[in-house]
This record gives sequence, structure tokens and C-alpha cells, in this order.
Amino acid sequence: MSDTAAAIARSPITVAPPATQLHGWEVSGQRSTADLTLTDLTPLTKIAVRAPYDGAVRDALGTPFGRAVADAMGRLVIGSGPGEWLVLAGVGDGTTVQGQLDQAIAGLGEFVSIVDLTHGRALVALTGTRSADLLAKVCGIDLADTAAPDGTAFRSSVARVVTDVVRHDTEGTLTYLLHCERSSGQYLFEALLDAGAEFGIEVDGFTVPGFCAT
Amino acid sequence: MSMHKSAGDTGRMRLAPQPGEVIDRDHTISFGWNGSQYPAHPGDTIISALAAAGERVFSRSYKYHRPRGVLTASYLDPGCTVQVGDEPNVRGAHRLVEAGMDVRSQNTWPSLRFDVKAVNGLAGRFLSAGFYYKTFIKPERLWPAYEKVLRRFVHAGEVFPDTPRGYYDKRFAHPDVLVAGAGPAGMAAAVAAARAGAEVMLVEEEHHLGGHLRWGDKADLALLAELTGLVANTPGIEVLTDSVVIGRYDDNWVGVVQRNLPNVTERLIKARAKTLVVAPGLVERPYVFEGNDIPGVMLATAARRLINLYAVKPGQRAVVFTANTEGDAAVADLERVGVDVVRVEDARRGGRLIRAHGRTNLRAVEFACSSRVDCDLLVTATGWTAPTSLLNMSGHDAAYAPGAARFLPDQSRLPPGVLAAGGITGDGRSDQLVAHGDAVGQEAARRAGASGADTALLPALAVPEHPQLFRAHTHGMVDFSEDVSSKDLHAAVKEGYDSVELAKRYTTATMGAAQGKLETVNTVAIVAEASGRTVAATGSTTWRPPYAPVTLGALAGRSLEPVRHSPMQAWHDAHRAVPLVAGQWIRPEHYGDPDAEVRAVRSGVGIIDVTPIGKLDLRGPDVPKLLNLLYVNKWSKLDVGRVRYGVMCAEDGVVLDDGVTGRLGAEHYLMSTTSSGAATVWEWVENWLQTEHPDWQVHVTPVTTAYASINVAGPRSRELIGRLGTDIDLDPEAFPYLHVRTGTVLGVAGCVLWRIGFTGELSYELHVPAGHGLHVWERLLTDGADLGATAFGVEGQRILRLEKGHFIVGQDTDGLTQAYTAGLDWAVKLDKVDFAGKTELKWQRERANHPRLVGVQPVDVEVVPPEASQILLGGQIAGRITSSRMSPTLGRAICLAQVDPRLARPGTRLRVRLPDGTDIAAEVTEHQAHFDPEGARQRV
Repeated sequence: MSDTAAAIARSPITVAPPATQLHGWEVSGQRSTADLTLTDLTPLTKIAVRAPYDGAVRDALGTPFGRAVADAMGRLVIGSGPGEWLVLAGVGDGTTVQGQLDQAIAGLGEFVSIVDLTHGRALVALTGTRSADLLAKVCGIDLADTAAPDGTAFRSSVARVVTDVVRHDTEGTLTYLLHCERSSGQYLFEALLDAGAEFGIEVDGFTVPGFCAT
Repeated sequence: MSMHKSAGDTGRMRLAPQPGEVIDRDHTISFGWNGSQYPAHPGDTIISALAAAGERVFSRSYKYHRPRGVLTASYLDPGCTVQVGDEPNVRGAHRLVEAGMDVRSQNTWPSLRFDVKAVNGLAGRFLSAGFYYKTFIKPERLWPAYEKVLRRFVHAGEVFPDTPRGYYDKRFAHPDVLVAGAGPAGMAAAVAAARAGAEVMLVEEEHHLGGHLRWGDKADLALLAELTGLVANTPGIEVLTDSVVIGRYDDNWVGVVQRNLPNVTERLIKARAKTLVVAPGLVERPYVFEGNDIPGVMLATAARRLINLYAVKPGQRAVVFTANTEGDAAVADLERVGVDVVRVEDARRGGRLIRAHGRTNLRAVEFACSSRVDCDLLVTATGWTAPTSLLNMSGHDAAYAPGAARFLPDQSRLPPGVLAAGGITGDGRSDQLVAHGDAVGQEAARRAGASGADTALLPALAVPEHPQLFRAHTHGMVDFSEDVSSKDLHAAVKEGYDSVELAKRYTTATMGAAQGKLETVNTVAIVAEASGRTVAATGSTTWRPPYAPVTLGALAGRSLEPVRHSPMQAWHDAHRAVPLVAGQWIRPEHYGDPDAEVRAVRSGVGIIDVTPIGKLDLRGPDVPKLLNLLYVNKWSKLDVGRVRYGVMCAEDGVVLDDGVTGRLGAEHYLMSTTSSGAATVWEWVENWLQTEHPDWQVHVTPVTTAYASINVAGPRSRELIGRLGTDIDLDPEAFPYLHVRTGTVLGVAGCVLWRIGFTGELSYELHVPAGHGLHVWERLLTDGADLGATAFGVEGQRILRLEKGHFIVGQDTDGLTQAYTAGLDWAVKLDKVDFAGKTELKWQRERANHPRLVGVQPVDVEVVPPEASQILLGGQIAGRITSSRMSPTLGRAICLAQVDPRLARPGTRLRVRLPDGTDIAAEVTEHQAHFDPEGARQRV
């Protein structure tokens, strides 16, 4: 009695209508032209890598702790913690990226773990000149260019939830990626909208990020 | 809209236009005061508008209910606290009038004019300092009555329970330089710092920048305009007016309450400033003499503010008692606007003020040699207090300079990140204050590391001489908010409270709304004179944050509480699940009939959302070492595909958590924990790995919410899973109890399927990548409809597991329950080399005198003793019921209990004390499980 149609995958964040599908994920087709927007990017592939913080795997990944670098393979490699990385890639690319990573670390002789956290993290993008002003209402980290320039990655408390923050400006516009453990995703989304109300924030639908373009 | 209003249109005391006035005469608005309508101009404060109309009495004092009027005409004015609408304790001399405001005096009865409680004044002898330590004490049974009486006399406004909520929020900031105070020095410092490249935050308590320049002469007003222009046009300065720095904490962690935002009632800014510039200026001090609180007696700055900012005549016939240039300038201002200044008594030339006469209004002033002058206005200018709070909070206590009659900070003793600018450090002409601020601002930028600033040698401002004037030869009010007089302070010292700290607490002087800014120096001086010491020797009290009172709203901010939802939440909501708050999780408690849910599981199949169960992905060659260390049982020989139940104890042998761990691969395990213990166990595991065994190769990744977890339980559960379609072989031979498999279910790859049991039925726990959770959940119910597939909630699960006698950590165990108490004898492997808790557990087993967890059956099967009901033995507490329910499966009450070992044998009769005081009888059962104790149903 079971059918073989693939089960639809959903983000913890309620989809802003109209809902469409992308590679088996339910995504929002809403479009906003506001200066400040919040986008749910949860369906992106997210692979966690653990390895020695200062070894050959770190060199192979090409990103030190505290930085995020878009690489030539259409991935954003984030140094989320000492010896901890998160690799972001396009929707549905989990197996591909796992394969790439397995190949990269093979033979380096270090103790490495690779865990697919695509379903385990809620991920959003905050885009616009006032992004830092919004974040300053819910996060205590100094976001000035001198302290957190483009490409900075850190983990802190955002609206009282442990959140990873990555500054990854898109076409010169200030942009922050924020991700937290999945079940707090809806709460974090609402908290960011609440903080952004005074700046006229709007929800924008899913768009493939620039670093995914190959 | 008519053009310039002439004097008199908004009150008989309104003057012709003044050069520095802040009111907009082109508009007139109307507001209510104690039920009558009054006119005002935009820019008026509540008090300036009322004063313009000729009103003089605005409140009644705290203890004695004495009539009070303007004293300082500033935020600190103690006699000007009013209720505005549903907002109590509003500073009437600071709050701007808005059209339609409903302003009322506070706690006056029946009216401001004829307050019956003023009878307090007659009983003054009996209401001296500390009277409440000596009265209203016995008999104790009358305390509720005393409280009712005392409430009537409390000087505070009213809060209405249904008051609409203001919008409060918060913000973090990281300015290079934070300047507290925007008088001439503060403004100059902000501009200088910004010009040197610093990001500056300039905070000013008043509605406008400028400090004392605003009510100054023509030159002051010109300087004000110039500085205001510079602040506006220099990039890099964020200006906050009607905002106050409430405290300075370690490393320049500074709190600011901002009130000048259009849609936000108050915003609390938490700032980490690289440099803090303290430029609060000086606060004028009242003089202590008999009658100093009569309406009509005010400070020189009050008179000058009323005249110059609000174009209000403070009185008709004035006497001025002056000891400094502010008093002299007040004389000039009064004469300029046509007040009849009938006497100027100069303290620098030996003038002496004795007392003031009047009750609700000043009538006359008495000087030395009994000379008496009739008047309706007395202006005093007897000294300045340096508001050093932020400097004290920075670790520096200013020293008293007798020649200057004030406490003076020492710039060289401040921490590197804190600087003082302007009048607080000395005094001078306006241009000197500006020069000082400019130099300090440059230095502040340099210390903040901003580029482009040269090292500035900090100039020092001269410290002018000032006579020490604190109290006349008569006694008067020292703390106007708390109604503490100099007589009270003398009495306190006589009673033995002769240190300023004791006298403060005993009399409550300086503990009112102004928090000492108007009172401390006078208090110190009077305690000094009463105890025969100098002011310097007497010292001062401690200035603590907050600098100004803070609302709870500002501290609370937006009420955002993190909440966690499972992927199936939408389904639970749509099916009327009763929400259960479990930490940050919202879980379904039941869907309307938990007993029916239990029956569905036992007879067919039920599904429950157990996503909050902690899940840790463990990888590496040393995982078995970790498991052996943290669990009490053995883990070296667990084959791939097998599952084992484990219990963790803390080092004191107390049960910390339990769960199952399965081996998914050669070096890949998946550990489950209780849902409430998920974060604790993760930290526990990481703590051991990082601090005790960094050499072990183990990686731990929390995957609690990476999977949607569904427990499918009941005799038909295998059938139901099969209906979904999976590549996992479900045959009981291939997939026995306590095994785990990975594979594809319903087309979803990467699922984990466990065969475990909490409910005692055949059951599987299906872990699905979370994004697919809702889809799989819905399919289980639709595909299993004919099998009777039913959703069940946490309550149903609690009943099911209790029927099977499974304990819940934290419910049937507590902070003292060591492993053997919970009946885990079979699990604790003392022959392991080492594990957390081993030493304590060895000893527990040797002592063997620990409580036991047992199954309990009430003799009257209809009675369910509430959880925590005590078990008694010989009049002593010998245990308690830890879990209890009415079992729908068995039709009788069932319990688990912890009991004294003497009561643990099966068949023992227990006496259970119910919360209503009655006792019931119960019996210890053979097994903890009341149903299927052999566990046959889950091994099919």
C-alpha cells in the first residue's frame, strides 16, 4: 500500500507562500525587494567535518577557524570552531560533497569524522545594509568592519539561542548567514523578524546563494 | 493657528519670549491636572506649564505629607513626582507635556490641597527616623492590619493591573568613546573624539544638549548654538537625548536607557565602550534650614531654568541667599524679568539665613538679627555637588576638598579607560570647559585606538573656592524624598548610628528617588557635625548602579523565550494535542483521551513523537572506552547492529541519565539519552573527553534534532512499519529485540530503526532525517488506519511504562538516588577497571542500607495516591510514592515508590499518607512491573 514517491522534506521554518519545491524540499517562492530581508536557506547541504585544528585536513579544506571561504567546488567552507568545519553546498548535493570530502582526506592519516547535518540545522540569510543594526539588537558581538569583516565566522548567543554566524556579503551587500540546531529554527526566524521590524524587514523566498554557482 | 502668544495666554506667570526658551509659542495644547484643564506649549514640562499657570503645590511629602513645590525644576526635583495616566512616579519637571495628558498628584487624600494625612505633621515626634523599627511590631497577628494602614501612607503612585504594555527592547553597542553628559565639556569631547576618527556615543539626560549653557546669558547661548551645530555636523557621533547612563561595570561595560525613540518606550543599550568620558557637570545642592521645603523656596538653577527655558516667572517678590556666581546670575535674571528682588543676602559677606515661614506657600524669610522679609520666593545658591557615581563605579572614590566645599575626582587615579571632563573636575568659564572637553575627547579617542589622534596633555581646570554651607543654625529637610530632617540625623547619631553608612540606612537619607545626588553631601556634613568630625574624615556612602532608577520593562526588553518544536508540531496542533511544556520543548501530552491511547497501543499500534530524546553521534576507535567510562555496565563487546541499555552515574554514584546505545558501524555508535538530559549528557561527555582524555580519538556530534524520532509500539507495529516500505529486513529472526538497523524507509534514505521498548509492547523507534518527519508520521497513520494506528502522547507513554515498571530518571530517582537504589544491581559492573561513580557505588553496595525502588499496589485499587505521597513507618517518613496512575490496562491503581530497605520485601504492608492527611494501605509487589513482568510481549 505504500507508494514510492519521495517524501517531501520541510524546513522547521513555516514556508512563506507561495510554496514550491526544489530537489525534494518545500521552499518559499515569495519575492521581496525590501532593503532588509530574511531568507530561509535550510535546504542547503550542510556537512560537518571534525579533524585536528592545525593539520593536513585543515590545509586541504583551506579555511582556518573563524573564517569562511567560498571554494572552487561551489561550496562555502566555514571554520566554525577549532577543529570543526561546516561545508555548505547546494540543495541535494549531500552525497556529492561527502564523496569530495572523503577523497580530500583520504591518505592524510588524521582522525576525521564527517557527519551530514543538512537536516539538523536551520539556516537563514539576513541581507541588507541594516543587517548589522538588527543583529546588534540580539547579539553581543562587535560587528564593525574592524572586528568582523566579510568572511568572519563565529558562534555566539543570538536571541538567547546558540547560533553560528557567518558574514558572507553578496554582491557588496552586507549579508549574514545564521544557523542553529533545527528545533529552534522557527523561534530564531521570528526573533529576527521582531528585531528587524523597525527597519522594515521582509521575508524573501529561497534563492540559490552565489557560492553555489559553478 | 495664531502667531506669537503674549504672556498670560498660557498662564498668569508666563513671561514674554526669552532668548533661550524651548517652548513653541505657535502652538497651545491642553492637559488635565487633578481633573481640571490647563494650557501648555509644546516643550513645556508638566511642572513648567503648571507653574506658568500660577500653581505652586504639586505633591505631598512621604512621611509628613507636607506640601511641596519646585526645588530644582529638573529631573531630580523631589517635590514634582506625579502620576500621568496609568504611569506612576513620573518626574514632572522632566516629562514633556502631551496633548490630552491626565496628570494627577500621587497619594494625596482627599485632595492635594487638603490632605488629611498631613496630620502626620502633628504627630511628628512619634514618626521620627526609624519609627517603623519601633512601632507596628506587636502584636504580630495585627500585621495584616498594620500593612493596610501603612499602605495608605506610602508615597507612590498607582499601577493598574490592566495597564497596556509598553514596547521595550534592547541593543548592544561597541562605541570607541562613550560620553556621559552633553554640557559644553561633553559636547566638545564628543566632537574632538569623532574628529580623531572615533565612533562616539553621546548620552544626555535632558531633552536637549547643552547642559547649563541653555539657561545662561547671550554668550552661553551663542556657544550652545555653535556646539550643537558641531555635534550635528561631525560624522561619527550618535546622539541620545532623554537617555541616561545607568552604570559602569568592569572593563567599561556600560548600561544606557534610551527614551528618545519614536516607537519604543525605553531601550536598554548594553555598550562595551573602549573609553568612557564622564562629563555630568555639577548638581546644585539645597541648603538645610527651617522651612526649606515650603513651596516657593527653590535653588538658583531652578529659578533660572523656569525663567530662561520656559519663560515662567517663579514668583513676584523674591529674596536671594547667594554664595556663588550662579546665585548672582539668578538675581540678574529675576530682575530682568520684573521680579521684585527685595533682598540679596550674600553668604560670602557674612550673610546668614535663619528660617523660612509659610505652610502651603512661602510668606516670609528670616535672617540674622531677627530681620524678617515678606516674600513669595526664596532662591538659594549655596553650593555644588559633583555627581561622581560613574567614577566611583570605575573604582575611584573622590576626596573632599574643603576649600571648594565639594568632592573632587583625581583624573590620575582613574583606570585607563575612564576619563572625566568639565565641571566635575573643577570649574571655569565656558571656553575653559570647552577646551578641557576638547583635550579629554582627543585623549579618549587616542586611548580607544582610533587613528589620527595626537597624545594630549590633559589640562586641569581650576578649582574655585567656595564657602562650606550645609546647614543654617536651624533644622530643616535634608532628604526631601524620604522626609529626613537634620534633626533626624542628629538623633540617629545620638542613638549610636554615628557612621555615615549606618546613619544612611537607619534614617533612609539618600535612599530616595534622587539617590543621594541632592542629599549626600549635606548628610555627610550633618553627620560630621553631629559626631564632631570633619567631612573628609566622615567619608561618603557608596555609589552603586543604577545611576537613575530603571524600569523593569527596560531590564526585561522583548519577552522572547526560546521554544523548540518537533517536525510533527503542525500535526499535533491540528489534532488538538494538549501542549506539555518540557524545558524549551512543547510536546503533545495527549490528544483528548490518554486512556484510549494506552489501550490502542496494547491492542493494536500507536505512534508517539519522541524527537526530543537526546541523540549523540559517536565516532572513532576509542568510543568503547568512552562508553565503559561513563556507563556502569560493560561495552567492550557490542557487535555492529546491536543495542544495549546503559545507565550513567555521576561521580557520587547518583543516577545521571539512562538510554540505549547502538553500534551502527565499526567505529560508529549512536547514543540516546533522556530528553531532559540531552544537553547535560552532551556536556558530560565532552567534559570527560576534553579534560580527562584528550588523547582518545572520539568525535561527538549532537544529532538530537537531525532526526525526527517516532516510537511505533504495539502488537501490530512490525506490520505497520512493513506497510511503509523499507529495505530493512523486519523478520524477527533477522531483526531481534535490542538491535538496530539503518536503511531506507518510505523512500527516505539514512533512517535508523531500533528495536527497543519502553512501553513493553513490540516496538520500533524510527529515526528519520528531520525534514521528512512530518511526511513519514502522516503516512504511518494513513497506512495504518485499518490496524488501528493511533497517535499517543507523553501521558499515555507514562502510563504504559509505569505498567511495565520502567523508572524515569528524575521522576523515580532524585538527586540522592544512587544506582543500587534504583534496582540497577544487575547493571553495575564493579569488576570494570574504572568508571564514573565506581568508588561510591562500591561503598553503597557494602553498606547495603539504601532505599529501594519497588512496585506498590494500593489495597483499595480505586485510590491513586498522588505522586510524592509520604510512606510512614512508626511515625517517621520512610519513603514516598514516586509515580502513580490508574492503569487502563489492568483497571487498578499502580505505583512505584522509594522505600526504606526494611519495607522493601514483596508483600510488605505500607502506610501511605495522602495530601489531605488521611492514610491508605498499600502492598509492595513482587516485581516493579505490574503488567507482563516476564517481558514476553516485546520479544515477539
